[in-house]
Amino acid sequence: MDNRLLGLFVVFAPLSLLSFGGGQAIVADIQYQTVSVHGYLTNAQFADLFAISRAAPGPSTLIAALIGYQVAGFWGAIVACLGIYVPSSLLVYGIASWWQKHKISPLKIAVERGLAPVAIGLIFAGALAVVRAALANEPNMVIVALELVTLAICCSIFYFSKIGSYTVVFSTAGIFLLIHLLFM
Amino acid sequence: MAQETNEEKPDGARGSAFDVLMSFLKIGGSAFGGSTQAMVFREVVDRRQWMNEEQFIVGQAIAQVLPGANPVNLALYMGLKVAGGLGAAAAVFGMVIPAFCIIMAMGFAYTELSSLPVTSFVLHGVAAAGVGATVSQGLRTTRKLPKRASTFIVGAAVFITIGLLGWPTIPVVLVAVPLSIAWAYLEARGAA
Repeated sequence: MDNRLLGLFVVFAPLSLLSFGGGQAIVADIQYQTVSVHGYLTNAQFADLFAISRAAPGPSTLIAALIGYQVAGFWGAIVACLGIYVPSSLLVYGIASWWQKHKISPLKIAVERGLAPVAIGLIFAGALAVVRAALANEPNMVIVALELVTLAICCSIFYFSKIGSYTVVFSTAGIFLLIHLLFM
Repeated sequence: MAQETNEEKPDGARGSAFDVLMSFLKIGGSAFGGSTQAMVFREVVDRRQWMNEEQFIVGQAIAQVLPGANPVNLALYMGLKVAGGLGAAAAVFGMVIPAFCIIMAMGFAYTELSSLPVTSFVLHGVAAAGVGATVSQGLRTTRKLPKRASTFIVGAAVFITIGLLGWPTIPVVLVAVPLSIAWAYLEARGAA
């Protein structure tokens, strides 16, 4: 096997099993491994790839695909993705299938009831984090107001209607594009 | 598309792996700005009606607690529940492939696109829509949970420590999960 492909797999596979709470937990480790340890990228390149991964849809750990491509082309992207997703997915598959087959017991009910409020707290904390990050770098109060109104309208649409999320997301993108073309 | 109601559904497979693949391909290509889980909720609970809010939040919690990207774990759990092992593979494939193609295209176009102010403006709008979806899911699920003091105290404690005070997520979750499970266990025993 190509040394660089093997190297990519060796970097990402262990981080896969350490990525508690998703990609944020291992971004610093990915940077350390790919920039300082292996010298695959410069810090500036890493910062660029990180920005792309935040703007793109899907999981933020797809930064692995971008790094893999930089290091070893198309197959580098594939190998990096396998490294970051396969180990954790096998673990989740094992635990989830055991859990879904497991008979109902007082302990199982307690685990499900106990996990739910933690998940709810994380949902609202995550929403607040995205809002804070978006507003922190926005000096224009008109744009801040526009974003908060968009948030409230979309929240109402999702709460009260059955309109699909992709329809709402792409309509919002279209409206923002129109606003930019007309007023900015 | 399954058009039954949410009530009285038995546990187990109740959709085809192909339906799962189509659903997650759509989500994988449109879930921008950290709102993926709310988009999955929209598709799995509201549109396909494969499970109800309570069943979904259990899967979401397990996906969050285990290592791995939350959207990928969530897709795997939901695909497995709806259509077994093939469904799990279809869901992960659907979640990752469109996003993989888009991020590679963005990688090529980034230097040109990122210098345009319109790009960040549109992405801000999309992020706002995503947060709207997330808040809506949080409200919907909260409404469906049992009205017990423990639910609200644990939920509020996690939100305040991580969301408002900015404490790191992992230690808070490591403390909150066992306490919350123990509380739910004692509450059930006390009620019995």
